Amino acid sequence: MDRRTFLTALGLAPFAAQLPGATPLHLPKGKAEHCIFIWLGGGMGQIDTFDPKAVGDNQAAKKKAGSLYPSIETSVAGVRVCEHLPRTAKLMEHMTAVRSVQHKVIDEHAFATNLVHTGRMVSGNALYPSIGSIVAHRRGAVDPTVPAYMLIGFPNVSRGPGFLGVKDGYVYLVDTQSGPAGFTRPDGLTSDRESARRALLAGTGEAAAGSALAEYADAQKEAFRLAGPSFMRHFDLSKEPADLRASYGGEFGQRCLLARRLIEGGVRFIEVSHNLNFINGTGWDVHNDGITHQHTLIRELDHALAGLTADLKSKGLLDKTLIVVATEFGRPAEFDGRGGRGHQGSAFSMVLAGGGLRHRGAYGVTDDLSKKVLQDPVSVPDFHATILTALGVDTHVDLKDGARPVPVTDGGKPIGALFA
Amino acid sequence: MPLVRLGLFACLTAGLGAQENAAWSFRGEAQPDLQASGAVTFVQPGPRRPDYPTFDLKNQAARFDGKGARLMLADSPDHRFDFTNGDAITLEAWVKLDGLRKGSNVYLIGKGRTKAGSSNQNWALRLREMYGSACPSFLFATTPAAGDQGDDRWHRWTTKRGLVDDGRWHHVAVSYVFGDPASVRGYVDGEEIQGAWDMGGATREAPLVDDDAVWLGSSMAGSPNNSFTGWLDEVAVHRRAIPAKELTGRFRTTLPPLAVAVATPRDASANAGNDSAPATGHKATQGAAPVVKASSFTAWDQVRPGEVLVQLATQWKPEKNLWPADALPTTESYAAPAFGFLRPPHLYVATGVRGDRGSPYFFRAGAKVTLPAGKHRLLLRGRGAAALFIDDRLVLTTPFPPAGSDDKPIKVQDKFLDLGPAFRFAPPGNREAWCEFTSDGREHRIALETIVGYVINPKSRRRAELGETVAAISLAGSQTWSLLGPGATTPTYDDAGWSRYAAQEEARLTALDDRHRADARATEADYWRKRREAGQAWLRSTPEIPVPTFPAGFIYGPQGFTTLNPIDAFIADKLAAYRAEVGRQSDLDFHREVWPILESKCLECHQGSKAKGGLHLDTRAGALKGGESDGPAIVPGDPSKSALLARICSTDDEAKMPPKGPGLAVAEQALLRRWIQDGAHWPEFRPQPTQLAPACSDLAFLRRVTYDVVGVPPSAAEIAAFEADGSPDKRSRAIDRLLADPRAADAAMGLWQDLLAENPNILNPTLNNTGPFRWWIHESLRDHKPLDLFVTELVRLQGSERFGGSAGFGMASQNDVPMAAKATVLTTAFLGVDAKCARCHDSPATSTKQEQVFALAALLETKGVQVPATSSVAMDKLREGGRKPLIEVTLAPGATVQPHWPFPEFATESVADALARDPHDPRDRLATLLTAPTNERFAQVMVNRLWTQLMGRGLVEQSGDFERSRQTHPALLRWLARELVRGGYEADHVRRLILNSQAYQRADDASLRTQPELYAARAPRRLTAEQVVDGLFAATGKPFRTEEVSLDIDGIRESDNSISLGDPTRAWMLTSTSNERDRPALALPRIQAVCDVLAAFGWRASRPDPLSDRDHAANSLQPAILANGVMGTWLTALSDDHGATTLCREATSPEALVESLFLRVLTRRPTPAELRRYADRLRPGFATRLTQPTEQRMTGPRRPAYYVSWSNHLDKDATLVRQQESEDARRGDPATTRLEAGWRQRAEDALWALVNSPEALYH
Repeated sequence: MDRRTFLTALGLAPFAAQLPGATPLHLPKGKAEHCIFIWLGGGMGQIDTFDPKAVGDNQAAKKKAGSLYPSIETSVAGVRVCEHLPRTAKLMEHMTAVRSVQHKVIDEHAFATNLVHTGRMVSGNALYPSIGSIVAHRRGAVDPTVPAYMLIGFPNVSRGPGFLGVKDGYVYLVDTQSGPAGFTRPDGLTSDRESARRALLAGTGEAAAGSALAEYADAQKEAFRLAGPSFMRHFDLSKEPADLRASYGGEFGQRCLLARRLIEGGVRFIEVSHNLNFINGTGWDVHNDGITHQHTLIRELDHALAGLTADLKSKGLLDKTLIVVATEFGRPAEFDGRGGRGHQGSAFSMVLAGGGLRHRGAYGVTDDLSKKVLQDPVSVPDFHATILTALGVDTHVDLKDGARPVPVTDGGKPIGALFA
Repeated sequence: MPLVRLGLFACLTAGLGAQENAAWSFRGEAQPDLQASGAVTFVQPGPRRPDYPTFDLKNQAARFDGKGARLMLADSPDHRFDFTNGDAITLEAWVKLDGLRKGSNVYLIGKGRTKAGSSNQNWALRLREMYGSACPSFLFATTPAAGDQGDDRWHRWTTKRGLVDDGRWHHVAVSYVFGDPASVRGYVDGEEIQGAWDMGGATREAPLVDDDAVWLGSSMAGSPNNSFTGWLDEVAVHRRAIPAKELTGRFRTTLPPLAVAVATPRDASANAGNDSAPATGHKATQGAAPVVKASSFTAWDQVRPGEVLVQLATQWKPEKNLWPADALPTTESYAAPAFGFLRPPHLYVATGVRGDRGSPYFFRAGAKVTLPAGKHRLLLRGRGAAALFIDDRLVLTTPFPPAGSDDKPIKVQDKFLDLGPAFRFAPPGNREAWCEFTSDGREHRIALETIVGYVINPKSRRRAELGETVAAISLAGSQTWSLLGPGATTPTYDDAGWSRYAAQEEARLTALDDRHRADARATEADYWRKRREAGQAWLRSTPEIPVPTFPAGFIYGPQGFTTLNPIDAFIADKLAAYRAEVGRQSDLDFHREVWPILESKCLECHQGSKAKGGLHLDTRAGALKGGESDGPAIVPGDPSKSALLARICSTDDEAKMPPKGPGLAVAEQALLRRWIQDGAHWPEFRPQPTQLAPACSDLAFLRRVTYDVVGVPPSAAEIAAFEADGSPDKRSRAIDRLLADPRAADAAMGLWQDLLAENPNILNPTLNNTGPFRWWIHESLRDHKPLDLFVTELVRLQGSERFGGSAGFGMASQNDVPMAAKATVLTTAFLGVDAKCARCHDSPATSTKQEQVFALAALLETKGVQVPATSSVAMDKLREGGRKPLIEVTLAPGATVQPHWPFPEFATESVADALARDPHDPRDRLATLLTAPTNERFAQVMVNRLWTQLMGRGLVEQSGDFERSRQTHPALLRWLARELVRGGYEADHVRRLILNSQAYQRADDASLRTQPELYAARAPRRLTAEQVVDGLFAATGKPFRTEEVSLDIDGIRESDNSISLGDPTRAWMLTSTSNERDRPALALPRIQAVCDVLAAFGWRASRPDPLSDRDHAANSLQPAILANGVMGTWLTALSDDHGATTLCREATSPEALVESLFLRVLTRRPTPAELRRYADRLRPGFATRLTQPTEQRMTGPRRPAYYVSWSNHLDKDATLVRQQESEDARRGDPATTRLEAGWRQRAEDALWALVNSPEALYH
C-alpha cells in the first residue's frame, strides 16, 4: 500500500479533489483552511445576545417582551450587541452576526441540533454526515498525520460521519483535562510499562505483508504514533503563556485555546461545545428560572470568543480560520411564566468570524422583537453552504451514500455578501 | 455520687506503676470527690433491663444540660491519669443524647483544657458532630515545639460513623497506645468503627502531661459548644487497651434496630439515594398516600402452600391516580416464590409477540406465611402506590409517586431510610414504609397490592414498571432482612441477596415467557403447517438444481476434512471451470495487466446505457460485437482485424482513440496486441488461489464457529471438551451444540438490527426513531422462528410499540410517511431491492419506481397513501444550471397510491389469495407475497445473508441490491434457497449445511486481505463490533457492567418520551446515549465507553436507515480506543471481579498461565518464542504473587450512592455527581489486593498485549 492509500484507509488523508468537476465561474470560493465550530447547545437567545432590541421586563406583573439587557455599541458603526458582550463588541469588524437564520424545527432539541449539524431534515433513507465530517471528507486534515475532525464535547449521532463512515468521524475529548478518547494514556501507566506492553505486543502473532491483519497492525502503529508526543503535545495547555491563557477565560475558553493549538497542529475542523450546564443549570436552554444566570453564560462566551479572535489575529491565523458560533435555534422576545424564554426558529442568530470573509458586523434584519426576518433570510442549508464555501469546499460535487449521489447541501446558497 | 470501682472492670497495672482504673457509675446523689458545676442532675433513669440486659432494673445515670454542666476531679497524686509513650488508654461511656449541635465537639471525659482558650489537652473522649451523627473522637495535644503551625500539635482521631439522637442508650469507646498511631480503635454499640486522624494527624510523639483536672461533660470553662447535652453512665478510664472482643461484648440490647437517618456530604461518599424522604418546597413533592379500605386479594383458596399467587387486573383504565374503589377482576395470574417482584411475565399476543398491558394496571399478590412469635419489623417498597395487608388488616402503604420534574435537588438523597447494617437501600424511583408487627407465631394471610404505572394526564402515562416491589421482614432481635415469603427458606434481602434473587427470578420468568410464546405460536400451528406443505408442494412442482459431480482429478476430502457436502461440489465445479480458463490463458494476466488499460482509457465513454457509438468495452461480449461504425472491436487471435487496435494506434486526429489527451503508450499498445493475438481471454474472476486449502486446526475451527454462531470465543471448558473429544464427527456435534445455544440469539442480533433499522432512543423519539423491537427480534431468534413466520410477524406490526413488539418497527418519528420508509427497509432486507432512492423519486440506478414503494407503504398502512410534497422532488427545481436531471419523478405529489403488490416479477398477487392467513388483510397479503415459496428471491436473499455472515463474502456481493450485484455462484445460491424451503424456512438448516462444508472449515491463508470469490482459500476475518466487545469481555472474564440504558431510571417521564432498555449483558443491548443536549448531567459514561469501541468497529449508535453490509476497513481509531480507551482499561486491569485475577491466582506456573491466557484470548497455544517472552515477564515474583486480600477501606458512613436521572439533572449538583461517575468509569474498578502489586502490573501488561494483538480481533 502506498502512503496515500494507507492514510486514506486511516481516515487521515486529505480527500483532495477526487471529483474535480467544473465549478461555475460566478461562485465564490473562500480560502479558509480551518474551522472552529463553537456549539451553544440549548438554543442561544439572539435577542439577549447578537440581535438586541428594546429592553423588556421579565419580572413585572405584566411582563414586557424585549431584550433582557441593554445593548452597547460595537466597533462596527450601527451594529449593537448586548452589554454582556463587551469584549466581542470591540472586535465586531472581524465578525458577522448572521441575524436572519431561520428554520421550523423547534419542538425538540435533538431534532434541531441534528438539522443545524447536518443541514438536512431527518429522513429514513440516509444517516447524513455532520458539517465537520463533510469538511473532513472533502478536505482531509491540513497535516495528514493528525485527525481531520476533532470534537471537544460529548459524542452524538448528529456530530457523526453518517453515511461517510468511521474514517470521516471525529476524535473526541469531553474536556481539556481528560485528553482525546483513545489517545490518552490511562492514568498511572508509566512509560516503562507502556514500553513493556508494546514489546510483548510486537512479539505476539505475526501478520503477513499485505494481509488484513497487517493492515490493522499498520493502523495500530498509526494510533500509537498519534498517542505519542508529536500529537499529544498539542493538548498541553500549560505550554501557553499565563496571560494568554487568562485572556481566554475559564474551561470553555481553554477549550477554545486548545482548538487554536490543534489548528496549529494541522487539524482541519474542531467543534467546541459550550456545554457547561452547571453555570446556570440549564445551559442556553433558558426556560423559567434558567434565565436568571444567563448573563454569566453570555459573559463566558464573550470572554472566550474575543480571546480566540484576538489571539488568532495576533498570530496571523484569523484569515485562515473560520470561527462559527452555532446553536440549534433562538428564543422569542416574550417571557414564559417564570421569566424565561421558549424556543424560536423563525429568526435567530449565528455568528461567523475570521476565515477571510468580508465581515460587516451583522447580516440580515429582523423586526422590532426579533421575531421575523425582514431582510436577507438565511436557511440552514445556506448557512452550511457559506461555511463550506469559505473553506473552499465545492458544494456542487455530490457526496456518495454507497452508489447514491447526495448533494453536499440541501440546495443551500452561500451568503454572497460575505465573499469579496 | 460515689466514685465506684466497678467489679465489672478488671484492675490492671500498666505503665509507670501500679495504678488502678477509674470508673464512674452514677448511683444516688453527688459524692464529695466529684465536684459538680452547673445543671448536673442525678437519679435519672439509666440503661435498664430488659432493654439493656447487662444492667439492673433500677440503674441510674446523670444528666448534663449542655450549657457547661460538668463533674470535676482534681488530678490524682498517684499519676493514674498521666500517660506517656507506651502507655495504653481506653475511654468508654454509655451515652444518651438529648440533641446534638451542628459542628460541636462535646466532652464526655477529658483531662486538661479546663480554662477558656487553653490547649493543654492531656487526653479526651469527645463526640464530634459529623453529618448529623455524633462520632466518638479521641483527642490529645503534644508539647508545643518551635515551628509548629496551625493544628500541628493537636492529634484527633474520629470514627466515620457515630450515633444519633434517637432516645436510646449507646455505648462508645476508644482505645489507644500512646506513641503508636496505628493502635487506635473506636467502637459504637459494640461494633468497631473505622476512623481517621486529622488536625496534626497521627503522631508518635508523647502526649502533653500536666496537673490540670479531669472533667466529665464539658471543657474550656464550660463552653456550650464543648458541653454534652444528655445522659451519661458507666464512664471509665482504663490504663490498658481493652481488646476488641471485650469491648464489642459490652453493648447488649433487646430493642430492634431503629431507622437511622445518616447524611453525609457528597465529597465524602460521592454517589446516590432514593425518594424515601419528601422534598420540601419543590415541585417534585411526594405523592399522596393511597386510600385503601380493604384488600382485594380474596383467592385464598387458590393459594398453594409455598407459593405467592400473583393476580394482575389489566382491564382498568383510570383517568386519575386513585386506588380502585372496587375489586378489579383478575385478567392474568401466576405464581412467585416470595414477595419480591421485578417484573411480571411478558404479555404475548398473536403468535407470541410482546404486548402491552397499558398503564396503569393493578397488581395483587397473596400468600400464607407462618411467622415466628415476636415483634418483627416489616418493610414495604414499591414504585407505584402500594399496600401491605396482614390477615386482612392494612399494615403499610407507600404513596403515589411524586410529580415529574427535571430539577429536583440531588440533596434530597441525603435523606434515606436505613434499617440496619446490611439494609438494602431503596433503588431510585421506589418509595417505602416500615413498621413493627407482632406475630402470635401462627400462619398469616399476607397480601401485597400495588398500582403499576401512573396517570400523568388522560393522554399520557408513565411506564408500567414494578421497579423493586418488595415486602420484607426483619425478625425480632435480628439485624438482617429477608423477603417475606411462604417458603421454608426465604431469600435474604440485602444487596447480594437481592441480586441473586433477581437473577433467579429473571431466569424463571424467561423460561415462563418461552413457554407462553410457544403456546401462542401453537394457536396458529394449523396455518403454518399448511404453509410448510405449500413449500414442499412447490419443491415437488419445480425442477431441482442438480448438484455438480466432483470434477475428475479434483482434490477433495483429504487434508483433515471429515465432511463433504453439496456446497463443496458447487464450489469445486466453479473452481474447476476457472482453472480451465486460467489454463487456457496466455502468460498475460488480464485483470492485472489488460483491464486497467481498458478501464482508464476507454470506459469513461464506452460503458453503460449511454456508451459512445454504441460500443461497450466493459464486457468481452460487447467488445466482440463492436459498435455502430467499426465492426468488432476485437477479433480474438487476429489483431489486424480488431478495430480497437486500429483506433488506439491511429495517428489521425479524427480517428484516434481516446480522442483527447495522450494516447496509449507504445508498450500498452503492444500489450493489447499480444492479448488479442493470444485469444483475448477475459476471465470472469480476478487471479486468486486455485489450490484448495486444507482443513483448519481444531482450535481454529472452534474459535471460528463459536464466534460465528454465539458471538464470543470458546471458553476454557469448551476448548478442553472439544480437544478431549476423539470422535470423528466432533465438528458436526460442536456445530449442533452451538446452534442450539441460547447465546446464538445474541450473536445474530446485530445483523437484524442493522437490516431492519432498529433505532430506539432512550430520550424523546426524534431522529427517525423506532420502538425497541429488538426484544421481539431476540425472542424470535431464541425461538428459532422460521424466517417466513419472522417476516410475517414483522409485517403485521403487532403487539407493543414502545416495549418490544414488532409494532415498534412501524414507528418512525419525524418521518412524513413512516410506512414508505418501512417499505424500503422491507425491500432491501427481504427482496434485495435497494429502493432508498425510490422513496422520493424513481431510482436513477435501478428499475425501482417510487410508485412501488408507495404501493408497499399502502399495504402496510392497510389503506391508500398520499404522496406528500415533502416526499417528492419538484422537477423544475432539480438542480440549477440547465443540466438534464439525473432522476425522474413519475409519481405526482399529492397522488394517492392504493395497496397492491408491486413486484410481479417475484410473485404473482394471486398467491396471496391462496396462502395468506387472512387474504383480506393487506398486511397478511404483503407478508405472504414476501415469503411464499414461489417468491424465490426471498429465499435467495435470505440464504445469501446467511452465507455472507459465515463465509465473509456474499454469493451475491451486495446483499441488499441484487440488481446491481454480480453473482459468483448462481446455481449454489438457488440450491441453497431451495434448501431453505426444504428445511421449513429455518435459518439453522442452511447454516448447518454451510458450517459443515469444507468451504467453511478451510485453514486461513494469513496473507489474504479479503475473502477470495471462489473460496479455495479463506481470508482471516475481523470480528464485528459486537464480537469485539462481547468477545473481549468473555475472553478476559471481566464482567460487562454499565449503567442501566435509560435516562429516566426513577421512572417519572411519560412512556412516550422515555424508555429503559434495561441492564445490558451483551453489546447489542446498547444504543446511542442520546446526549444531543450536550449536558454533562445526562452523560452515561460507562455506556459511552463501550459505544466508543462499538462505533469505531462499524456499529451504529443510531440506525435511521437499513444497512446490509458494514464497513470493515481498519482505521486508527480502532486500535487506539482498545489500547487507551476506558473499556480497554477495564479489560486489562485486574480487579477482584476480573476473570484473569482468578486465573493468575490459580496458575501453577508462569508457563501454564501464559498458555491459559493465550487459549482464552486467541484460542491457541503460544509459540515457543511467545511462551518464553511472556513467561519471562511473569516469572519474577510469581512464587510470592499471592497476597491476603486487605479489607476494603471504609471511605465514609454507609449510604446509598447518589443518582442522576432526568428528574434531577438540571440541579447543578447533578453535573458533579456525573463527573464523579465519569471519573470512576475512567479509573475502572480498584485493583485487586489478592495479587502483589508489582507482579499484578506485569500480568496486566501481558493481558494488555494479548487483548491488543491484531490477532485477537480476527478469526
